[in-house]
Amino acid sequence: MDLNRLLKSERHFKILAFFHENQSSIDTPRGVATWIGDERSKVQRALEDLVKLDILVADRATSTTGYSYTRDAKLISKIGKLLKQHRPA
Amino acid sequence: MENIKNHVYQKGLFDRLKKSPSLKKAQECFGHVIKPAAWWVVEKMSPKLPDVQKLICGNCPSAKRLHPQQLHRCAKVALGMLARAAEEQRLVAFDCPEGMHAFVCPVIQGEKIFGYLGACYAKKEISPQMLEIFSAFTATIVKEVQKELELSKLYETLRPRAIALSTVHTVHRLISSTLDLNELLPRIARLSLQIIRANRCSIKLVDSKRKVLLPKVTVDLREKNIRLKKVKVGRWAPGKAVKFGRPIRGRDYLAAPLIDEDVIGVITLYDKIDRKPFSTFDQEIMSTMTEQAVIAIKNAQLYKEQEKLTMGTIKALAKVLDTRAPGTYVPRASFIKITLAIGQELRMDSDSLKSLQYASILHDAGEIFVPEAVLAKPAKLTGAEFEMVKEHPAAGVEIIKHMKALKSATPIILYHHENYDGTGYPKGLKKDQIPLGARIMAVVSAFEAMITMKPYRMVKTLDEAIDEIKANAGTQFDPKVVEVFLKVTKKKEIRALLEKELYGPKPAA
Repeated sequence: MDLNRLLKSERHFKILAFFHENQSSIDTPRGVATWIGDERSKVQRALEDLVKLDILVADRATSTTGYSYTRDAKLISKIGKLLKQHRPA
Repeated sequence: MENIKNHVYQKGLFDRLKKSPSLKKAQECFGHVIKPAAWWVVEKMSPKLPDVQKLICGNCPSAKRLHPQQLHRCAKVALGMLARAAEEQRLVAFDCPEGMHAFVCPVIQGEKIFGYLGACYAKKEISPQMLEIFSAFTATIVKEVQKELELSKLYETLRPRAIALSTVHTVHRLISSTLDLNELLPRIARLSLQIIRANRCSIKLVDSKRKVLLPKVTVDLREKNIRLKKVKVGRWAPGKAVKFGRPIRGRDYLAAPLIDEDVIGVITLYDKIDRKPFSTFDQEIMSTMTEQAVIAIKNAQLYKEQEKLTMGTIKALAKVLDTRAPGTYVPRASFIKITLAIGQELRMDSDSLKSLQYASILHDAGEIFVPEAVLAKPAKLTGAEFEMVKEHPAAGVEIIKHMKALKSATPIILYHHENYDGTGYPKGLKKDQIPLGARIMAVVSAFEAMITMKPYRMVKTLDEAIDEIKANAGTQFDPKVVEVFLKVTKKKEIRALLEKELYGPKPAA
């Protein structure tokens, strides 16, 4: 999956922007859906797409999964630049 | 500070006011009536003459053809009107030296004036009624913009706090979801690293007898080989945090004590990813984190204690039963291991595995009610004797029913003599009607009976017993369970443990 292509999806863009702005955040699909104003199930699928790209880290427990931002400084910097490029007008 | 705040507020207010669609609409409507050439905004509380020249006269269509002295005079008039509007705190109309009509309206909040709105170069005289309407309109629009601004400020202040609160809630859910310390402590360490954005996290628990901190887990994003070191209470940051019962923070470390009634341990973080120093905010977040962590750790410790107590009771019960027929009720470690390995392969959850473990020790406890002569009979049992033996699963349940912790093991004990094809006892259940734990126990207990000494039959070798289990798959035993049993008993360590327990250690070559 290509990050550039993924960022064309408004949902993925919003999720990435949320974690980039709140890098200390750990949240559930329901929480992230609330912050970006989207449907929980669709957000959950998008979160898993970002986990596959190592952009998000998933902490899985029996009752829920907590998603948080990568700690890779290079990747964070790259995402920062891409977010600026893809920012909707 | 107050001035800076006012300045920021004023800038935000005018930025929004200038973009306000309501104001644009009002200007458009009034424009049709009074035909002004220029609308203007002065974003200053006390403007000076150059401000007026630039902001008001700079917009005037006649400015270009006016002599500088005339322009100066015009600006002075406008400045005087701004001062009057400020003093009277109301809209003021005036005629400019060019003979055109104009007005100035102060932007007021409470008694404070933040700037001015106005129009110049109106060709028609502006009636007092019209001015009154415009004044009321402007006041409403300013109030609307002020409300928007306040809401936006509130949103900017609340949102990060709400996000932080949501993080705390998620962390709480994640760490409360396990009672296994071996799983819990690394999870707390990982989550702490994530929240604080640090490179290394170490959790140490207090050994109060020896006054040392025992290292339990260290997660480091940079190093794979980590040495776990003990630390004396009072030494280094972790030791000091425990000794003084408060966080100890340095540029590159933050030690937060885990405080219950007493200090039970410490979480220490090292080296922030962005190389910045640990902040007061990090310290506050870690204080919240440790409050959550200490509850989870205490719960896990209590659960572990409870587990030990339950296991101790079960073993004591097995030991008492064993006094009747030595070697019958105290199970060999290998059988428990095989039982649990099958359960794990079949993806049973941790609670079900625990029940399986309890049942593997106590499944034949009910035999205590069967006369010894029947159990030790070297020949085939009579019908009446077999009926007595068939009672033992229910009798076993009767023994353990008062122990709540063993409740989940009762179906396994009750149905471990049911056959897959429905020919077993006590109820003649078939296939999936038999609980999975009981289907596993049926295989392992039959295997155990075949390879250990029993008065009513010859001991089989391991391979003979395995073959017999295989032969009865689909009739006496669940074929899926048998398949996994065959896989498990092929494992070298299981085979070695079985041989050691049954035949003693291998003689040295």
